[in-house]
Amino acid sequence: MAPRPMSMTVSTGGQRGGFAALVTTLPGLIISRFLILFGFLAFWEFASDRLVSKFWVSSPTRIFHLLVTWIGDGSLWPHLEATLTAMGLGYVIGCAVGVSLGLALGFLPMFRQVIMPYVSGLYALPKIALAPLLVIVLGIDIGSKVALVAVTTVFLLFYSTLDGIRDVDRDLVQTLRLMGASRSEVIRKVLIPATLPWIFTGMRVAVRYSFTAAVVGELIAANKGVGYLIEANAGLYDATGVFAGVFVIVILSVAMTEVLTRVEGKKAPNH
Amino acid sequence: MTAMSTVSATPKIDFSGVSKTFHVRGQEVQALQPVDLQVRKEEFVALVGPSGCGKSTLLNLVAGLLEPTSGSVTYDGKPVSGLNFRVGYMTQKDTLLPWRTVNDNIGVSLELSCRSTPRAELKERVAQMVDLVGLRGFENHFPTELSGGMRKRVALARTLIYRPETLLMDEPFGALDAQLKLIMQDQLQKITQHQKMTVLFVTHDLAEAIAVADRVVVFSARPGRIRAVRDVPLDRPRDIFKVRFAESFSRLHEDLWDELKDEVVKGTDV
Repeated sequence: MAPRPMSMTVSTGGQRGGFAALVTTLPGLIISRFLILFGFLAFWEFASDRLVSKFWVSSPTRIFHLLVTWIGDGSLWPHLEATLTAMGLGYVIGCAVGVSLGLALGFLPMFRQVIMPYVSGLYALPKIALAPLLVIVLGIDIGSKVALVAVTTVFLLFYSTLDGIRDVDRDLVQTLRLMGASRSEVIRKVLIPATLPWIFTGMRVAVRYSFTAAVVGELIAANKGVGYLIEANAGLYDATGVFAGVFVIVILSVAMTEVLTRVEGKKAPNH
Repeated sequence: MTAMSTVSATPKIDFSGVSKTFHVRGQEVQALQPVDLQVRKEEFVALVGPSGCGKSTLLNLVAGLLEPTSGSVTYDGKPVSGLNFRVGYMTQKDTLLPWRTVNDNIGVSLELSCRSTPRAELKERVAQMVDLVGLRGFENHFPTELSGGMRKRVALARTLIYRPETLLMDEPFGALDAQLKLIMQDQLQKITQHQKMTVLFVTHDLAEAIAVADRVVVFSARPGRIRAVRDVPLDRPRDIFKVRFAESFSRLHEDLWDELKDEVVKGTDV
């Protein structure tokens, strides 16, 4: 009698310990995560055409086959390239313009006071609302997506730069001024170095926004790009194509998030 | 000869009837009652008094960071208007640049175009200063990696390195331990005498004030006004480590402490 309850206690403890041990080791964690994904895909596969028509939900195997076809015949690459190019170009332009504007208005407080209401107004406007206009002006090609990404990015960088400058410790500025620093020396030796962390934060945040902007721009009107791929397949009522496109976006987002987390992890130890 | 005497008769810094009132949340707070004080060229004046008695306000007025509510502050006979670039100001808060190392913080004033210094000379002077404040081995540390006392010493080195003709110091050695405080006081009085600097030195520590200064000014509790002024009857340079045991030192200390203690009690009541 005595050994039974003992062995029960041990086995319950052993099970809890086993699960905790499984999740805390890296392979165990990966296995647990994959189990969830696997369960989800298996249920999807099962439900397709049994619980819901495949017209609406397609199925994981079909989506997988389509993805393999796209990769095999190379038809995916131009779309991927278009999306990433639009995002990259727009991001770089947006960052450059946003930081420059932020610095300029940060250094010219009078000018800032005059034009801030307009900037805030434009910032409040959902940038997606500009997409049709951008298509009219810049055409259906990549130009309008670059512009949409740039417009989205500009505001993020503008505000983080401006906030950075306004957050600079006035005492540091005063200290250098008293040493005889000129205005441009104060800018170079205090304001810009103090603002850099804010600019970097803005740049990290903007990566995600610029990706979204690129895809949404393509969804609205495009002739290329992952967003276009989704939109075109949706137009054909091809759920498999839509899901395949969404899957590509998921992969890209996850990759981007991973990279950014690594970069952020180096800066912030608690990440 | 006459020209000489007129020049030396003009005080370096002259506060005449200077008062300062601040507006804090719609309320008027008088920080300083009318103060009259003349600081001679190359004089080392210590300002002692309870917290919030307006000592720092006086320094800010000389630096041109504040304007007096009434009265006038003149420097070399001219009213201070705008920033006073002739002074080096070591504020209570150490305003080190967090992204610069100890070396680069100390040398920053020499990088400015107004006193552009050749690279080699800059390096040499920074190294001298690092030695002077005892921070060798920490040259490449960032301010966040230093203790409060070390940061104070960096701030001191940064102020001394460009040899301003007047030093304004707001409790520069408050964060230092007792031994280091003595060493820094010693260095400071030697350097300021050697380079013929005029010094306005704010401190809470009466013994420190007497040890380093030519003249000690005791302030009353807020609103600050001058309660007592005494010349320190000891020649400079002094032996900072021994001066405390001199009879004239303890007599002056006792005398000034009598003035100060009522004010300190009043100050803590507020």
